[in-house]
Amino acid sequence: MSGLWSGPLEKIDDYRWRIPRSYLPGMRVPGIIYADEKLLKDIRNDKALEQVAHVAFLPGIVNASLAMPDMHWGFGFPIGGVAATDIENNGVISPGGVGYDINCGVRLLKTNLEYKDIKDKIRDIVHALFSYVPTGVGSKGDIRVSQKEEQDILVHGSGWAVKKGYGTEEDLECTEENGAIDGADPQAVSDRAYERGKAQSGTLGSGNHFLEVQVIDQLYDRDVCDEFGLDLGQVMVMIHSGSRGLGYQVCEDYVKNMVHCLAKYQINVPDRQLACAPVNSSEGQAYLGAMKCAANYAWANRQCLMYLTRKAFEKVFAQSWQKLGMSLIYDVAHNIAKIEKYTIDGKEKKLCVHRKGATRAFGPGHPALPERYKKTGQPVIIPGDMGRNSYLLVGTQKAMDETFGSTCHGAGRLMSRTAALKSIDLGKLMKELESKGIVVLAEGKGTIIEEAPQAYKDVNDVVNVVHNAGIAKRVCRMRPLGVIKG
Amino acid sequence: MVRKKYQLIEHTADIGIIVTGKDLKALFANAASAAFDIVAEKRKAKTKIIPKIFYSVKQEAEDLQELLVNWLNELLFLSATKEVIFVDFTIKKLAPCYLEADVAGYASINYRFKAEVKAATYHELKIEKARAGWKAQVIFDL
Repeated sequence: MSGLWSGPLEKIDDYRWRIPRSYLPGMRVPGIIYADEKLLKDIRNDKALEQVAHVAFLPGIVNASLAMPDMHWGFGFPIGGVAATDIENNGVISPGGVGYDINCGVRLLKTNLEYKDIKDKIRDIVHALFSYVPTGVGSKGDIRVSQKEEQDILVHGSGWAVKKGYGTEEDLECTEENGAIDGADPQAVSDRAYERGKAQSGTLGSGNHFLEVQVIDQLYDRDVCDEFGLDLGQVMVMIHSGSRGLGYQVCEDYVKNMVHCLAKYQINVPDRQLACAPVNSSEGQAYLGAMKCAANYAWANRQCLMYLTRKAFEKVFAQSWQKLGMSLIYDVAHNIAKIEKYTIDGKEKKLCVHRKGATRAFGPGHPALPERYKKTGQPVIIPGDMGRNSYLLVGTQKAMDETFGSTCHGAGRLMSRTAALKSIDLGKLMKELESKGIVVLAEGKGTIIEEAPQAYKDVNDVVNVVHNAGIAKRVCRMRPLGVIKG
Repeated sequence: MVRKKYQLIEHTADIGIIVTGKDLKALFANAASAAFDIVAEKRKAKTKIIPKIFYSVKQEAEDLQELLVNWLNELLFLSATKEVIFVDFTIKKLAPCYLEADVAGYASINYRFKAEVKAATYHELKIEKARAGWKAQVIFDL
């Protein structure tokens, strides 16, 4: 695609590689990549490794510019990048380190249905989901709110949805940040962002977003599965979406603003898309307040999408969602910046942790976790492509020690969208999926091709690396049965 | 058939364009046209005449690169919020830090969406003089 990356890469062990700080003058820390030899072959094929080195230029960056095994070329930050900056040491926050789809994330809910109960109904379920859940570019939902109520969403996130009857208190407990991060500032969100996000609550969107019915096909940790109430053959539902137009506009507004901060704060970065400002500056604080609003909007959105999913299942099975056991396992953000505390060189520091295509993976006992997950560690949800697998993992202490409590976020793209459109035949692809018993419905046929399994790395390889490196622990694996896409 | 004024460049997750123009005004107009080619394509033959929708756009920036990003992002914002796919771009004034244009398009309902373009980015953004006119590279976030 852009030639083999030829920079220096030192092997630390089978799953860790280093780009030395000496690679580019201006790097403040080394780059550390989590990958094995097999994944590295593909990783070297685009510009993601160069981007890991570029992120190491950020003022205040601590320990290393990190990248997960699902990494690939992004813009500014690589997708799969993690960078933490020390707030008290002029550490910066970068909108590009979060991305345009702020709090793009995943939630996983279980059911008490077994594969044998639904194998003849998969088509019905997928059609019901497709009729209940608005999908596609610029899709609009039935959930309409005034601008005042929109501000409520930005502050209260999933809590707003629960208050409206779109879920339960238990759903909030099973969502990162309880579905609303503190410190959201609706005043920092422009009128343009409000306008762009209008009427998009409860909509899936397009691109790689999806809603998928899955079945557990492999257990790795029986004890944790028992804790979570999961077993082989159990039917699950995974929802992948984000902050829609509101998030895109918040990012765009603040990249535009922070491009000018580079000169103002004398920040030297090799790519303008790494535009940033000190977290403690007025610009940094304004972005943080606005980003939190978009994050809360995304949590409310996924809560609404889960409500619509439950309604679709109720329709197909003529039973309440409670009777169907449709409880939320967890909801994680994988495009976000968070202020978190870590011990660095023996001193507790407040860091701004950017996770750009990376998932929080807090280990057992972390105070941010609800009681039910204190013993196991935080559930980590890793979606794969629509033809292979997805995973449930848990966070580990090692992730706390090495990666600022972070791990991978998915399979990671391998093939560009244009290459996929050129090389993949829709008819053949649909037959392949059908032969595996997978029903796919999408707003646009192009989306199915762009999101074909061969356009992605094998999620099994990615999860293998994070498990073996110890920065998350496998719990169980799912395979897809039915998918709706935008 | 009119020769395309741009070519797509591959990016693992997103998409980029290399666009040319005989002058800067044409370069900016062609970049906008390429962006909307990525977003949508017209649905097959409609018998009824569909009304054209017009907007005026003004943008300021500190340099030419920023102006190009701002121009494209303004059009993407207008497209998303007004539900219009733009097809005509008349750049009336263009200085390195200022742009004034009239743009026109049709309601999105007449189009089939191909991709949700979130924004034009600064990543690997280039504008340079070419043999005959100007050339630019832009990567969009999808």
